[in-house]
Amino acid sequence: MDSKNDEALDIIVTNVVATFRTRCHLNLRKIALEGTNVIYKPEMGKVLMKLRKPKITASIWSSGKIICTGATSEEEAKLGARRLARCLQKLGFKVRFSAFRVVNVLAVCSMPFAVHLINFTNNNRPIASYEPELHPAATYRIKNLKATVQVFSTGSLTVTGPNVQNVAAAVEHIYPILYECQKPRCK
Amino acid sequence: MSKAGLKCPNCGSSNIVNDDLYSQAQLVCVECGAVVSEGSLADDPLWGTDVSYSRTTAVKKNPCLNLIKGLERVKEICRILRLNAEIEHLAQTYFRTAYQHESFINVTLQRKEVLAGCCVCISCRQRNWPITLGTICCVLNAEETLLGGVYQEMLKILNIQAPFVSVVEVIETHVHEYKISKQDVPEDFAEDPKVLTKRAVELVELAGESWIVTGRRPLPLMMAATYLAWQSLNPNRHRLKFSLDKFCNMAKVRKRRAAATRITELKEVLCRLGKELPWVTEAVTESDVVPLVGDILKYRHSLLARALKTHEKALEANCAQTSTLNHPTDEVVPTQHSESRNENESTSSVVQLSPSNKGENQGDKNDDQSEEPVPNWGKKVLFAPPCVINAKRRRVERRVENCTGDEEISDGEIDSYIRSPQEARDFALMQKMLSLPNSENS
Repeated sequence: MDSKNDEALDIIVTNVVATFRTRCHLNLRKIALEGTNVIYKPEMGKVLMKLRKPKITASIWSSGKIICTGATSEEEAKLGARRLARCLQKLGFKVRFSAFRVVNVLAVCSMPFAVHLINFTNNNRPIASYEPELHPAATYRIKNLKATVQVFSTGSLTVTGPNVQNVAAAVEHIYPILYECQKPRCK
Repeated sequence: MSKAGLKCPNCGSSNIVNDDLYSQAQLVCVECGAVVSEGSLADDPLWGTDVSYSRTTAVKKNPCLNLIKGLERVKEICRILRLNAEIEHLAQTYFRTAYQHESFINVTLQRKEVLAGCCVCISCRQRNWPITLGTICCVLNAEETLLGGVYQEMLKILNIQAPFVSVVEVIETHVHEYKISKQDVPEDFAEDPKVLTKRAVELVELAGESWIVTGRRPLPLMMAATYLAWQSLNPNRHRLKFSLDKFCNMAKVRKRRAAATRITELKEVLCRLGKELPWVTEAVTESDVVPLVGDILKYRHSLLARALKTHEKALEANCAQTSTLNHPTDEVVPTQHSESRNENESTSSVVQLSPSNKGENQGDKNDDQSEEPVPNWGKKVLFAPPCVINAKRRRVERRVENCTGDEEISDGEIDSYIRSPQEARDFALMQKMLSLPNSENS
């Protein structure tokens, strides 16, 4: 916490992916017929249902497994999932909301300085890997947090992890390392 | 064939039938029961076993045929790229090791060929021979994504690292590809490759300092640098009028679309530095900066320092102007910093980290605004990449405030997602009608 005493870093969660099960078989054709905001994809065997509030897209399989994407917080994901389950209940299926689990959280963050990626990679091998011809960002994988941070040379970060806490911890972890390798402002 | 024309050797009758015993085919005489002929009990291979006897008793295992072919391919690639024996040997060692690993032993031949290319690439890098993945891609005629994937996997399996290749090292080879020596083109357009390389290298170094190189593909940038170097070495009317297309046709290289954007960006940087030249009195525009390029590159360090000072002075002047108009909640402030401040306000209200920090952050941001209006570092420096100068403003509208996840869900809300029976019937009818004309047409 001492290293970032000047400005608070804004970590913006852009996507939360969660799954849950309905414990019953779902008839996809019925959902496609009687539900609004529904796209049926028979070639992939699933139905896409979009909720308005919170703004969530759900992939529904006939086995009863559902994946919700597009939420901006873990609570929002849970609310959206419950709303979806209620919707399916009203359509006539014997839905039991169970096994809700947040699978992935994606957040972006911006450092107030530019980063010298080559120095950063050289100091942190093999945790960090950078291949400028393939992708313009350096990838830093934090094993114990199970988080991956992609660092761009402009100082922007993209963090993915299993939950919001891990994502925040990952940013805290990587900030001092990036601070050491920042690009000097004037030449 | 089973019955006709056969005679029992025992009794001479021709009444022979197929009477299989379990899985063994047998021809049996009906009269006396003698077995006339029988098939094999087990399916022995027709001409010996799959594995020959000599191979089963072999002392030394022969190397896999694809491994041998792969090693030959590695050698071939090294010969094409004219690499020395040390690199070739190292590449072959890497290939041999990687080939045995489970991720590369049972894969398609194409993937194995790409692996050969990657081994060559990594060996070159470790021996400080400048080569790009793009070159390997061209030689192998493979997809970039496939090459990238195989390259990363190979690095992980072999557990090796490679030093980075900078554009400056690669540009010499690139410039030599251009056919603009005295034999190929008229005197007016010809240029010595060494002189051209030197100037192109200086341009690329300048590009590196002004954020044109980072995150971009190297080839279009090298093309842009070569083109500008060629134009500026002899900025007569003919050369200045020559477009990038014509230049590439003349030099017999394939034009890259992104090279035009790089040329614009380089010219912009050169203009900003050209303004600082003491003997330039009129304004420098993109169209007449090329003749000045030689001078700009010669004195670029001092010009950069001067440009930085000018920029800082301009920033201070703007700061003084806007400090009196500093309102934390004011959205519309018509100065240079309005864009960045708006960005601050929108970002500070969307911290999803924890609700308790929200109040704190707002307070912090307000303080920051009065002391230091721009956390966006792009405004402070002389050159910055476009994504930092025109930073995206995040839209705030779709946040659901104070969400716990366990709230009540009203019936009315859910009903909005379900069609009424009449609507469902109409929908089904419409789908049928839509599919009918399609089936009629087909």
